[in-house]
Amino acid sequence: MEDVTRKKTYVEDIERSLYDIRNEDRSLYKSAKGLTEAVVRDISQRKGDPDWMLQKRLESLKIYNELSMPSWGPDLSPLRMDDIVTYVRPDAKMTGNWKEVPAEIKDTFDRLGIPEAEKTSLAGVGAQYDSEVVYHSVQKELADQGVIYTDFETAVREYPDLVKEYFMTLIPPTAHKFAALHGAVWSGGSFVYVPEGVHVDIPLQSYFRLNAAGAGQFEHTLIICEKGSSLHFIEGCSAPKYNVTNLHAGAVELFVKEGARLRYSTIENWSRNMMNLNTKRALVDKDGVIEWVSGSFGSHVSCLYPTSVLRGENAKCEFTGVTFASKGQDLDTGASALLLAPHTSANINTRTISKAGGKATYRSAVKVAPAAKGAKCLVNCESLMLDDRSRSDTLPVMDIQAADVEVGHEAKIGRISDEAIFYLTSRGIDEKEAQAMIVRGFVEPISKALPVEYAVEMNNLINLELEGTMG
Amino acid sequence: MEKEKTLYSAIPMRTWRWLGVNGAYVPAGVVPADGNDVPAGADRQWSVAQGAVRTETVVYRTEQAGRVTIDVAPGAKLHYTQVQLLPADKGHVDSLEINVAEGAEARVTIAELGAAETVSKVTINLAGDGAVGDLAAIYLGNGSRKVDLNYVIRQAGRRTKADMQVRGALKDCSEKIFRGTLDFLRGSKGSVGREREEVVLLNEGVRNRSVPLMLSGEDDVDGHHAVSVGKMDQEKLFYITSRGLDLSEAQRLVVEASFNPVLERVEDTALRAEIEQYIEERISDGK
Repeated sequence: MEDVTRKKTYVEDIERSLYDIRNEDRSLYKSAKGLTEAVVRDISQRKGDPDWMLQKRLESLKIYNELSMPSWGPDLSPLRMDDIVTYVRPDAKMTGNWKEVPAEIKDTFDRLGIPEAEKTSLAGVGAQYDSEVVYHSVQKELADQGVIYTDFETAVREYPDLVKEYFMTLIPPTAHKFAALHGAVWSGGSFVYVPEGVHVDIPLQSYFRLNAAGAGQFEHTLIICEKGSSLHFIEGCSAPKYNVTNLHAGAVELFVKEGARLRYSTIENWSRNMMNLNTKRALVDKDGVIEWVSGSFGSHVSCLYPTSVLRGENAKCEFTGVTFASKGQDLDTGASALLLAPHTSANINTRTISKAGGKATYRSAVKVAPAAKGAKCLVNCESLMLDDRSRSDTLPVMDIQAADVEVGHEAKIGRISDEAIFYLTSRGIDEKEAQAMIVRGFVEPISKALPVEYAVEMNNLINLELEGTMG
Repeated sequence: MEKEKTLYSAIPMRTWRWLGVNGAYVPAGVVPADGNDVPAGADRQWSVAQGAVRTETVVYRTEQAGRVTIDVAPGAKLHYTQVQLLPADKGHVDSLEINVAEGAEARVTIAELGAAETVSKVTINLAGDGAVGDLAAIYLGNGSRKVDLNYVIRQAGRRTKADMQVRGALKDCSEKIFRGTLDFLRGSKGSVGREREEVVLLNEGVRNRSVPLMLSGEDDVDGHHAVSVGKMDQEKLFYITSRGLDLSEAQRLVVEASFNPVLERVEDTALRAEIEQYIEERISDGK
């Protein structure tokens, strides 16, 4: 009988030393472990919340206690909320001057290249360490045009009406258990307001770093792009590895008004002990455009499905995502789009790669409401498996309630073809490089959508992941 | 008060509850949860002997529940046709399971056309090396008909070949859920799987849910699935109506053209004519 087994070598995990450097935990204050009303009240008091915010937190806590854990998706049993510290205040004050950031924290962000990126390619930066934002800056020209880019606590204090109008309206605490958790213990995050007609030409960035062991990070990001404005926002996340479970349950709420355009890019590289249960939603008005670029490389477990609610006529959503699941990782990612108005359109394009026993799941939902006449939706997901110990699953759902629509879905799964490798090696390229070239080509639709610095970072991550993987 | 319902057919991998696609429920007592104890007279169990060729046809005209289990021995060939033509006021539940051994082939053709509410599940296990599963189905929704289909081809053997082709049309205020799964188990090296669904939506008011799953624990496979959902091609419609045909005749022609590749597989010409007649009546009078 023909032997169809092919030889391979395995590398269990990538070299993550850059991301895994952990600093001594020098937090100024940590909340008690677990989630109780006393903990929530304590966080609220320490953050100087106005009363409405405290009430919102308490209401969220009540909902959290009432909701059950999800009945689908990855195993969340390693997560024991009683062991999670929900608030860690680093020994640093928020500053707009990089020199004032404490040396240890500064070194961490220096290693990750954040200040360098600010100098070369960003209009503003926010850097969050554990539960608090430690550095924030925005270029003067943007501030002069009325662009607000600040940490979330400052926004609650200085722009209470705006925050109150939008905060957790798109992701209400009732959305799911981890949205309720977020509502109860949120801390840090970014607030961006782009006034009507203002175009922010170079990207803003927030970087989230969770240093403390056994802690949770619950930052809130709220972006409002007024009529005809445009913005590119980049989010980066990382953490060192510990033997205890860390939790990330952030919330991202994006409001794209009439004719506005927002691109939201994320390169996520959490350490392999992180449960990444993040929620992201965008509400798009008439002629508005939301573009998601999403790279998921890290974490032990991820559940991440950015959702676009296209409520205005001719609103559009473009989603481009890449997920790379390696040893010990269960990355359940995808996207959802709700097409609620006439001539709305959604284009979802994803690539997943799994290796060394990693599990990558593509999960999506596309819903076309009866009013969405002339709606168009195209979903394309491709999966690449690098060995036979890994898993790759695809689970898209389309719910179409209008007839005058065009909906298409296509998915492929497979491995790197021997013919392609043979072709490249016969042209003098060594096998390892040939395979890396093919994987880079496979994720090209995503790297093309990123600013060049981030595309390079993503390619480096892929090269690290592939080093010695295949043979 | 709504009758108590039990889970009859479940999706191989659960997703968000709000989409309502995780499972199909039937009235308690009609058929037990996983069909081991099917009402008398509706249970059929066959096997196809090694190297043999067997053709079987099951037509549901009055029966409201049925279960068919077929074992296809090494090197054997099965041609199986299943047609559901129940009156428009009946409920229907059916289950089909086929186990395909090494080098054997199952060619399955299904027409889910009648009943007010139908819940149907099909599982084809390509257990042996080189097993082939070729499943082609059509469904039609009209009036307030509800169609729930859950088809799974499990590829366990090496170099297995799966093909799932489903074509449907929805009219009036009918609703349908189609879950189609290709499941490549670890060890199914060299296997190929293809799945496609094409749905024509004939008017506003219909609801179509499509769930094409592809699960894989094996890298050395080649899997592909595609779904396309849309209204009737307007140019085609214009061409036909400009030749003097009315809308319902035009719709019938478009649906028949879409169903033809599947209908052609029905070898019994009398049965095929009956199916075509049934489709024609359903499209023209909307009952």
